[in-house]
Amino acid sequence: MLFSRRLILGLAMAGTLAGALAFPALAGEGPTEIDLFFPVPVDGKLARDMGTMIKEFNETHPDVKATAVYTGSYDDTLIKTRAAIKAGKPPSAVIMSANFLLDMQIENELTNLDALIKADGTTKEQFLGQFFPALQGNAVINRSVYGVPFHNSTPLLYVNADKAKEAGLDPDKPPQTWAELTDWAKKLTRREGDKVTQWGLAIPCAYDYCGWMMETLTMSNGGRYYNEEFGGEVYYDTPSMLGALSWWNDLIAKHKVHPPGATPGPAVSTSFISGNAAMIMLSTGSLTYVRDNAKFAYKVAFIPRNVRNAVPIGGASLIIPAGLEADRQKAAWTLIKWMTSPEKSGWWSRATGYFAPNMAAYKTPDMVEFLNKNPDAKTAVEQLDVAKPWFATYKTVPVRKNLEDEVMLVLNGKKQPKEALAAAQKAADETLKPYNAETSLKLP
Amino acid sequence: MSLAEPAALPVATSAAPRLDVMKRFTTRFKASLPAYLLLLPSLIFLALFTYGAMGRVFVDALYQRTTPKAPVRFVGLDNISAVLADPAFTGAVVNNLIYAVGTAVPSIALALLFALALSRTNVVSSALRAALFLPVLIPMVAASALFMFVFLPNVGLLDYYIGRLLPVLPNWLGDGDIALYAIMVITVWKNAGYYMLFFLAGLQAVPEDVMEAAHLDGAGPYMRLRHIILPELKPTFLFVTVIAILNAVTQVDHVFVMTQGGPSNSTNLVLFYIYQQAVEHYDVGKASAATLLTLAALMSLTALSFRTMANREGGP
Repeated sequence: MLFSRRLILGLAMAGTLAGALAFPALAGEGPTEIDLFFPVPVDGKLARDMGTMIKEFNETHPDVKATAVYTGSYDDTLIKTRAAIKAGKPPSAVIMSANFLLDMQIENELTNLDALIKADGTTKEQFLGQFFPALQGNAVINRSVYGVPFHNSTPLLYVNADKAKEAGLDPDKPPQTWAELTDWAKKLTRREGDKVTQWGLAIPCAYDYCGWMMETLTMSNGGRYYNEEFGGEVYYDTPSMLGALSWWNDLIAKHKVHPPGATPGPAVSTSFISGNAAMIMLSTGSLTYVRDNAKFAYKVAFIPRNVRNAVPIGGASLIIPAGLEADRQKAAWTLIKWMTSPEKSGWWSRATGYFAPNMAAYKTPDMVEFLNKNPDAKTAVEQLDVAKPWFATYKTVPVRKNLEDEVMLVLNGKKQPKEALAAAQKAADETLKPYNAETSLKLP
Repeated sequence: MSLAEPAALPVATSAAPRLDVMKRFTTRFKASLPAYLLLLPSLIFLALFTYGAMGRVFVDALYQRTTPKAPVRFVGLDNISAVLADPAFTGAVVNNLIYAVGTAVPSIALALLFALALSRTNVVSSALRAALFLPVLIPMVAASALFMFVFLPNVGLLDYYIGRLLPVLPNWLGDGDIALYAIMVITVWKNAGYYMLFFLAGLQAVPEDVMEAAHLDGAGPYMRLRHIILPELKPTFLFVTVIAILNAVTQVDHVFVMTQGGPSNSTNLVLFYIYQQAVEHYDVGKASAATLLTLAALMSLTALSFRTMANREGGP
């Protein structure tokens, strides 16, 4: 026979392989097995810290066996979570970028956590009360809790103190208003003829970062960026955003103190470290990187205001995807509560540079000692008093990109702020149309 | 040719009378059964992971949901016309055309130049070949991460050297007019060494006696290149061109890592547009429609080029 031993062996192997693919380890008696999807938005060491954290959880919780699954960036984590939900195998918990929650809730992909909170015998108010008020906006949708803040950030102004002193400025009194900041940037810009050898100020603009910085500038100019109560509206074509974008454009085109074009976050932090930019606006998430690499004295300060002090938050929340069995849901809830407790929250904050969302974390002895040693980490926490939620709409990413593409044209000198914002508004309204058709424009 | 034959060969020997089609079919099937069984494992996986996925794209391209909570419904060709009407898609197609021509031509020209210069094997040329081939071994993602630092405005390697010569330093990846060309430089850098291999192989096929005869007839280096080497390399050219164009459509790792299609969509290529539709817009219908359009374009291109190749080979 032609198909004798070898063929049968081959078929058997293929069969086993297919079987192994189709029926992964059938769950028997024992601890509830759960998966946690986690992104690493800053640097590789986080993956090891997460391993340490989950190991400790498993040792102290014999009835649950959690596995941490690394899923790439924030955006990748959203993709992988959605793919897993579509395949009918949702992960039990996910560390999800805080502004993706609304979009996921609209798509029915999130578990409402109210029942789990109630089952613990606490009220929603008590539960949320543990966290900084600024973080609650991105965790609560339609008065129901959908996420638990895990690690968060705000934008900061980083100042090269040595360069400031050289220019006759006092780094202990960093600029507080846009006027002062513009003045500082002018004094900190060095030129050789037409060529700039040192920029006064650099603000990052790449997809994701650009929208966040626009929200930062718009908020400090009195604006809102989006409707916090309803996912179908953004306020792009408004005086507050026009002022913000015009000022950014002036820094480049009129004052010539900001590098032209769209510069991504890593390029901005590198140019600060190398002394090429004397001041930058960046996330608190970069603080550890700057602290470890800057060979000069630096200061961090609040984002200066034009109308008011206000900044958006950034970072991620823990969520439970929809469609999970009850026992896994319960196990995931245990894990989430443990990870966001004051001790763990503080530990994670010290390891990563993000601030701890749980207010009680700052009363733990370890944290008090850490802040005494690193007073710059305190600025981010203090700025939380004026922080507001991160923009979240139906289809957050495309709606944000509608604005970012136009902002990039302005920074490259291809469009004027006014017409760019009008175009962005038009594009965003188009993206939001299906959602409005189902909500605000669905009339009886 | 001969590779495809064996499965059918037994039929010829054990062929039944022509009239009995049914019987002939069963005999043929019986004879080739072992072959099919041997192919079965691969066929299962091909069906599951290649053709199954392609079939799914066909189906998905025909469905769409109008509002977030509405169920998906059959919309026919609406997705395709929506994609064609999307300025981001047409922009991506234009970018991709510029990108394809702008990467294929220089990388093929460089590859030919390298191959001609290094066609004789000795220690130096072997070392140089290895050096030129090195970029091929570096994964695109790693290369992109590397080049991000080369292109860093003001402090990057490029600005560090060129900065002395230019009055204003360009923002290589942040300026919409330059970003696409910056991306193209990486592709050329990465692919020229790979295509060089094909030309080196092609040069081995140039008949030695013809070259000698030309030499004796007093043909100079240019004449030999123009009238002997280049015509002999025609099939290689055709093959490399097809590969280069396919690469221009299917390799977008560097766009993903370095620019995400920006600034303002100036480096958005077709495959990245599909990714954006599927992932950012969460619009499977439109992503599938764009995939179908791309597949159709690529397949007709490949068919055309292979037919040309077949014609060439059949000719004198």
